[in-house]
Amino acid sequence: MTDLSRRSTVGLGLAAGAAALSSRRARAQTPSEVKIAMLVPLSGPWARQGILEQMGARLAIEDINAAGGIKSMGGARMKLIEYDTQDSSEKAKDAAQRMVAQEPDLVGGFGCWLSSFTLAATEVTERVSLPWLTLSYSDAITGRGFKHVFQSSPTADKQADELLPMIVELAGRARSGWKPTKFAYIGDNTASSVSFMKSIRGPAAAALGLTLVADEVYTPPLSDATTMIQHIRSTKPDFLGFQSTNVPDDKLLVDKFAEFNLKSDKLPKIGGGGHWAVPELLNVAGAENLEGILVALANWPGKRQADLEKRFMAKTGEPWFGHDSIFAYVHVMILKEALERTGVADRVKVSEAIHALDMTDGPALFFPDGTLKYDEKGRRVGAKLCVVQWRKGKPVPVYPPSIATSEVIWPKI
Amino acid sequence: MRYGSAPRLKKDLITLGIVSVAYLAASAFVSNSYYQLIMTLVPIWALFGVSWNILSGYGGQLSFGHASFFGIGAYVVTLALVYWNLTPWFGIPLGMIVAAGAAILIGLPTFRLKGHYFALSMLAYPLAILYFLQYLGFQEMSLPMHRENPAAFLEFTNPHYYTLVGVVLLILGVFVSMLVENSRFGLALLSIRQNELAAEAAGIDTKLWKMRALVVSGMLAAAAGGFYACVLLVVTPDSVFGMLVSAQAVVVTLFGGVASIWGPVIGAAILVPLAESLNAELGNILPGIQGVVYGVAIIAIMLASPDGLFWTIRDKYFIPKPPAPLPRSLAANAPSIAQPAAAGSLLMKVEGLSKTFGGLRAVSGVTFDVRAGEILGIIGPNGAGKTTLFNLLNGVLSANEGTAVLGGQSMLGKKVHAVARMGVGRTFQVVRSFPRLPLLDNVIVGAYGAGFTDTDAIASAAHALERVGLSDQAGTPAGQLTNKQLRLMELARALAGAPRVLLLDETLAGLGRDECDDVLDVLQRLRTEGTTVVIIEHTMHAMMRIADRFVVLDHGRVLASGLPRDVVENRSVIEAYLGKKWAAKQDA
Repeated sequence: MTDLSRRSTVGLGLAAGAAALSSRRARAQTPSEVKIAMLVPLSGPWARQGILEQMGARLAIEDINAAGGIKSMGGARMKLIEYDTQDSSEKAKDAAQRMVAQEPDLVGGFGCWLSSFTLAATEVTERVSLPWLTLSYSDAITGRGFKHVFQSSPTADKQADELLPMIVELAGRARSGWKPTKFAYIGDNTASSVSFMKSIRGPAAAALGLTLVADEVYTPPLSDATTMIQHIRSTKPDFLGFQSTNVPDDKLLVDKFAEFNLKSDKLPKIGGGGHWAVPELLNVAGAENLEGILVALANWPGKRQADLEKRFMAKTGEPWFGHDSIFAYVHVMILKEALERTGVADRVKVSEAIHALDMTDGPALFFPDGTLKYDEKGRRVGAKLCVVQWRKGKPVPVYPPSIATSEVIWPKI
Repeated sequence: MRYGSAPRLKKDLITLGIVSVAYLAASAFVSNSYYQLIMTLVPIWALFGVSWNILSGYGGQLSFGHASFFGIGAYVVTLALVYWNLTPWFGIPLGMIVAAGAAILIGLPTFRLKGHYFALSMLAYPLAILYFLQYLGFQEMSLPMHRENPAAFLEFTNPHYYTLVGVVLLILGVFVSMLVENSRFGLALLSIRQNELAAEAAGIDTKLWKMRALVVSGMLAAAAGGFYACVLLVVTPDSVFGMLVSAQAVVVTLFGGVASIWGPVIGAAILVPLAESLNAELGNILPGIQGVVYGVAIIAIMLASPDGLFWTIRDKYFIPKPPAPLPRSLAANAPSIAQPAAAGSLLMKVEGLSKTFGGLRAVSGVTFDVRAGEILGIIGPNGAGKTTLFNLLNGVLSANEGTAVLGGQSMLGKKVHAVARMGVGRTFQVVRSFPRLPLLDNVIVGAYGAGFTDTDAIASAAHALERVGLSDQAGTPAGQLTNKQLRLMELARALAGAPRVLLLDETLAGLGRDECDDVLDVLQRLRTEGTTVVIIEHTMHAMMRIADRFVVLDHGRVLASGLPRDVVENRSVIEAYLGKKWAAKQDA
């Protein structure tokens, strides 16, 4: 044992020496380094989402540096500086403050997954003119007149407006022109759900010929869904929407519907938000009960990224490449593209370059709509919802056709 | 101002000036914006600690919910800026006004509670407000950014200015704290903290002073919170009303030193940078470890210095000089009672006074007179109702029946301090002193209670000390006095209010024979000076020496009253004290 450990110690020492040498050589070859920041929850209740972003971002950095870094800057390598928001918006803001103080030569960054954290952190980044990309949904993020914040997702309001027409379109496509007329919703009363439901209950549904026949609201955490599901069943909707906001509630709802023999082959269901397509939900709810559930999200890698997905899964051991990871990947790519165009590590120029982007290739292909252009508010023009469907324990992209690897399945009831 | 406060105030002001200038000079050299932010947070949390210290440090009213006022300050600034575009320069004062109103609303019901119950109820307010704000939809309020004229909206691109504003606010807070500490406000609070009943019996309106302390404290907390919002940029209910916010005020003050001006400042100056740097250095390596290290650091220091760093350091390295004796001239200008009653005239009349506790008639139909200039002894075996009688007379308990009139005014149905104001001085069976305060301050409390001006109060207290022969110990903390001196101190405190009548409850209890004689001499002297005394005692020989008349109580009733000689020969008195057998023996 001792012998072995001595040998391995020597080995470690040699390896370390070699690494030191090779890194010195690497530094000599490449002229400089460009730093970008990632500020996401790496501890606390949202850590899992942050780690998924971290995986995507690290892969992007590797890909860029392996391909020769930033060519317009003589092959400068990109470096990712990681910061943890922890578990509250003050701490997120605090981390942002620390980040801009400790890393004065940052040229851009992205984060912080949760809208509240992003709202707080961008108050800091905006004041130092640091270009900041985010996947967060809240309209408030780009509603404050900030110049250096870029929101790549469709905003929450836009998602709510788009959702019902999209569902009608999906149903029509799957069942050749058939139109649903009755639908039900079940959701919690958190701030984002309340604002989302306001739009769902509005006149848009009527314009599509839809009637909201059951509208169930609960206070999270959900303890029992029986009475709500009984009511929903009695109203016989054509489909059901979930506006839950966490995995435990999702699981309870899915289990309960299965218990009532209302799996998705009897009642089509659509959930909203990234938590409906994470491996954790599969672990607790099981493939059988999830089968057929549709999930509307702001981004998903599709057939265009089949190769990238394979590399991601091989490298990380994750069962699939999802919403959080692809956003981090594309945000690094956008920053790289802006740096290529400016040719200097200047954050204001990088911000201007992101504003000036208008692409349908390169990083644009990591979005379902295949376009990359931000408006004057910093919202991505053309950002659209996409849909994945649970099939045999895996979310499969089914909409829009640009990413779909399979057609949507809508049961005939 | 309190006696001897001028030099202390001067010294503290100089220290404050030097520390502030040094701090600002140091901050000018800090170019890292994150360290600058920490330098801004230090005065904010120090100010919050200073505010908590006024109510809970000096006044001893433990508040676990000071975040109420901090959060009100923060939310008023934020909402006023968002909805009315009101600059925080006005928003902060507005927040202070709102917090003052909130302090009154919170204080009115909560001061009915004492001790742990008070502390726990205070805890509830910020939690309730927190949920209320969430319900109203103010979960996340970001302070809008002003690109034009940012300084007018308390927004600076140069972070040094934030530190400057923070330090100026702290200077104002510390100055208020100095004024409080060195005035009757502070003395009233200190006496309430150390012994609320004694303070009340000395004539201090404890409820009023506590309320004043809460209002001042709430306003300072709101100023800290309002400015914190400007630094925070995004205000959430948790960040300003949360449990940890309330805890911050308690922690920095306990750590630095309770009931001292510098305690919260020292606490914040050490703990805030410690917590932030732990967060920055360890948080990324092992998330959550910073909280553990912080907690352990606090526990270690609290074990080493339970009163807070300030007191430990002061007691170790700055032993206070023994105070100079009081100048003799001080006592000469002592005020006296406006119209002393003529000797022998009726001063106090008690008729049919009764008190029951459930089925027990503790005091039952007690009637007696007190004449000006006499010493009336109230005697009786243990449990006869003597102390209950005093408690009825000075308002600690309310009577079920009967009347008690002092100089034409009823004594019943009044608060303890109001009875004291009528000219009733009281001492307690168990001495109720303010152990940390010097003897003179212990006595001055009584003079303040009578409503004297600062100079009159000091003169009156000095005079009272002279009368009981304790002038030389005027500067000694009460905690270092002997039992006899404590008895005399209590007597002096009662005398300092220039009372019309003194109620002395077992002043001789626990004293040796010689000590007893000394106290009796003092009482004799007081009588010759014309002071009226009602004294409870059960050592008969002592009473025989000084009392002019006796009232004997047994089982709550008056058994006998009259001249001492007549009373001690009364058969029923002998029976009550010594039993029927003894009385029979006497007869035989």
